Amino acid sequence: MKSVWARMLCRLLMVLMVWSPMQLAQAGLIGTDRSVVVEFLDRAEVARELQSLGVDLAAAKDRVAAMTDQEVQEIAGRIQAVPAGASDAATIIIILLIAAAVWWIWFRR
Amino acid sequence: MVDLVPPLRIILSVAVLSGCASLVPQTAELARNGLPPGLPASVELKQTPFFPQLEYQCGPAALATVLASAGAKTTPDDLVPQVYLPERKGSLQVEMLAAARRHGMVSYQLAPRFEDVLREIAAGTPVIVLQNLGWFSAGWHYAVAVGYDYDSGTLVLRSGTLERDVLPFAAHEALWKRSGYWAMVAVPPDRIPATAEEKSWLSALAALERAGDKRAARVAYRTFLDRWPDNLNARIGLANTHYALRELGDAEAVLRDAARDHPDSVVVLNNLAQTLSDLGRGEEALALIERARAAGGPFSAVIEKTYATIVERLGREGGGVDRLK
Repeated sequence: MKSVWARMLCRLLMVLMVWSPMQLAQAGLIGTDRSVVVEFLDRAEVARELQSLGVDLAAAKDRVAAMTDQEVQEIAGRIQAVPAGASDAATIIIILLIAAAVWWIWFRR
Repeated sequence: MVDLVPPLRIILSVAVLSGCASLVPQTAELARNGLPPGLPASVELKQTPFFPQLEYQCGPAALATVLASAGAKTTPDDLVPQVYLPERKGSLQVEMLAAARRHGMVSYQLAPRFEDVLREIAAGTPVIVLQNLGWFSAGWHYAVAVGYDYDSGTLVLRSGTLERDVLPFAAHEALWKRSGYWAMVAVPPDRIPATAEEKSWLSALAALERAGDKRAARVAYRTFLDRWPDNLNARIGLANTHYALRELGDAEAVLRDAARDHPDSVVVLNNLAQTLSDLGRGEEALALIERARAAGGPFSAVIEKTYATIVERLGREGGGVDRLK
């Protein structure tokens, strides 16, 4: 029971942390980025997912803050599934050697 | 004969690398139609810096390359905490776009066209492309296209640990196609990419405005309006950045112009009313917000709030509301 409350409190705090700087921005004005209305929880969810993949909380918060609502929706709940540019140097060199070899054989001989 | 050689080479490389031209349709099209009009046959942005990637960190390296090229002072090390995901050993496309904004640049995802990549390079802008190098499993990789030579059908990239990686168009397309031809640029706010389209470029500016760099956004909206002066949303965006920077007089001027050209825009009426109220001109504000209220529409909740604020402020100034009602 206690842990449920603790978790809820954590989530609430995270929502507030992620949102407070943006909420202060422009009371009373209607903005240009209004095509999608994102649930508060989507941003908190993405921040939590980034955290679970090894990013610390403050950095995760800043990273989510730089995203548009649309971008948040694009990856919320899908961070494990979307592409992550990651190839290590060895793979790249092998691929490029193959491409270069094909090129050489066909056009330079 | 000489004229035939380049397309022939490209077609051959298409055939060699994929066995079938339809697997690399854009390369085939470039070969068939010849050099797209207005493009030089050969370009290389030799000044583009090179940051050899550390293990798995092609995202930070590629992003640092385009940001530094756009004039930001940054290195891959600075960008690791902004785009790298340790547990996935990689960087997400969304975060590549988002992180550029944190450096005051406008990030823009290109239309999925090979020709557009060439156009950006020809205009002096290096392009980040997402390739999939994996044969049996996904091997996503960011590289930066910095040059091309149409006659030999090759693209020059800063890629991984290679400062000058020369790939045939077809080879690049085969790897790039697997990301849905994903490509992005990041440019300073006083520039517009060569292939930018009005609507998507405006979204890119709204994203910059949203991400927090209001000064950069203000410059970017002005640049946008020099090109597309009639765009109402850009005027609203410019006024909002002025407002956020507390340049209320400038915000008013922009919104007045917008209201003259678009008298029925409730967004303009609302934002102008709010701005005037902040300037202490509550009675003018009230007249405008009444017009917005009468029009109704999807923003009525915000409009009611603005109305309440204006009325409340007028009330505080001493019984003004009763008089106005």
